[in-house]
Amino acid sequence: MSEKILEIKNVSKNFSGLEALSGISFEVGKNEILGLIGPNGAGKSTLFNIITGVYPPSRGSVVYKGRDITGIPGHQAVRAGIARTFQNIRLFSNMSVLENVMVGRHCRTKSELFEAFFRTRGFRKEEDEIKSSACRILQDTGLLKYGNELAKNLAYGSQRRLEIARALAAEPGLLLLDEPTAGMNPRESAELMEMIREVRSKNIAIIIIEHQMDVVMNVSDRIIVLDYGKMISTGTPLEVQKDPAVIEAYLGTE
Amino acid sequence: MKSAGRYILPAIILLLIVFPLVFLHSNPYAIQVAGLIGIYLILCLGLNITIGYTGLLDLGFMAFYAIGAYIAAILSINNVSFWIILPVCMLAGGVVRWLLGLPLLKLRGDYLAIVTLAFGEIVRIAANNAVSITNGPKGLPRVGERFSSINFFSIKFTENIHFYYLILFFVFIAIVASRRLENSRLGRALVAIREDEVAAELTGINVAAVKSVAFVLSGIFGALSGAIYAHWIGFISPEMFTFWESVFLVAMIVIGGMGNISGVILGVFLLVGVPEILRDTLGTRFVDYRMLIFGAVMVAVIIFRPQGILPSKRRALELEAHV
Repeated sequence: MSEKILEIKNVSKNFSGLEALSGISFEVGKNEILGLIGPNGAGKSTLFNIITGVYPPSRGSVVYKGRDITGIPGHQAVRAGIARTFQNIRLFSNMSVLENVMVGRHCRTKSELFEAFFRTRGFRKEEDEIKSSACRILQDTGLLKYGNELAKNLAYGSQRRLEIARALAAEPGLLLLDEPTAGMNPRESAELMEMIREVRSKNIAIIIIEHQMDVVMNVSDRIIVLDYGKMISTGTPLEVQKDPAVIEAYLGTE
Repeated sequence: MKSAGRYILPAIILLLIVFPLVFLHSNPYAIQVAGLIGIYLILCLGLNITIGYTGLLDLGFMAFYAIGAYIAAILSINNVSFWIILPVCMLAGGVVRWLLGLPLLKLRGDYLAIVTLAFGEIVRIAANNAVSITNGPKGLPRVGERFSSINFFSIKFTENIHFYYLILFFVFIAIVASRRLENSRLGRALVAIREDEVAAELTGINVAAVKSVAFVLSGIFGALSGAIYAHWIGFISPEMFTFWESVFLVAMIVIGGMGNISGVILGVFLLVGVPEILRDTLGTRFVDYRMLIFGAVMVAVIIFRPQGILPSKRRALELEAHV
């Protein structure tokens, strides 16, 4: 593995007695696409929530680029460089597609209230910068032609793309994708995978939760399998597919 | 189209400036109504930042109108200049609103609405009972006291028309401020929070801080409006700041169109202006039916246009120029 960008050290999470995660440890390398799979309720989304600061872990720590970010609030995790999408699409429905991406740049900009009221030169320059970089991202993700549409009016697949576009606007070093192809047809899934590879080529590491096995096996460099909050297997897609523990978790024993 | 559109705004401004001169002698009441619309406009544009943009339901906004009005009244009785009172009131409105927001903004939806409602009532009851400061239900100024008048260079504000221009000026500022807020990084953050608070936080917005800014801003507008009103009417009492008035403000915003400046203006005009105009034309008997009609309009709007008569349209942004 090349230089590591994220380290999960012995992370556990209890929800009033229920152990959703226990003693998870792994690393993510720069430029790596890591697949996170496991049956429903295995703790995949819980892990995402801990990494992105939705709630702190009960034990253990999260280190991003050498800095301990365990338990920092969500907006600071984004500022640090961790952006994400959601299992159930969470766009700003009544804002335009462009504005959704512009909001994504919030943490990389700094203009304050008074600058906005007096339309200072710095404010206008920054607004221009926000708009043009948002347009660039929309162009890269093929959404520019919908720029002025309200986000809620987009087709389902485009909404999924827009979530990724919004996350990219924060210039992340690590992107967490929570079931990005859920509900997509095979062609849309394939297009999305193409987009994910393109994102990686911009030096962004990716962790992807995915249920479509052909997709995740195809796109990931490495796979981690969770079951009942425990890491039961890790390795290349080929290794994981052959692992008896994984087969048991998914199919049960004979 | 575009060239014609350019003249609409200056035409409206010119009309608003000339308007009272036309009615100065024939119908002075019209100027008073226009002034009242302006007062409510400043209030509602302030409240719109909380309710319309950020989606926080506030049912006690009159509290800040009251705070502005009472501070202005007390200072004015003690001969403080209006031009000092105004920033003091705005500061006080903002600070109180900020303090209120500290515990309050952790709440969401209905819970927030209930606590703001309670705060509105607490302020009114406090004004009613703190007789030594507010003169209780008898209001301010006390017998024998008077507010000092507003002086602008050599002009002494005594007539409605003076206050009309003063209010018009601040309405103009409130509209420009709202517009600029709308099209800024902060304004987008507010709307994002309204749309999805969790996603906003995880898109990099410091939700707690941004909510607090929105809350404070609207408090400033409220107190500003109250300070002007107190000077204009020359008398205030706790019964002006009832829960019903707070609901009335929310109704204006909801009927007109939440989060849309034109909608707010329309809502204020419909609920403050139209009844007064009708009172003039239909005679005073109409007043008895005002609430009935008001209720019917409210129900109709909620059924047929739940987003208000002029729903908020996020502005179409030119795209191609930026790629």
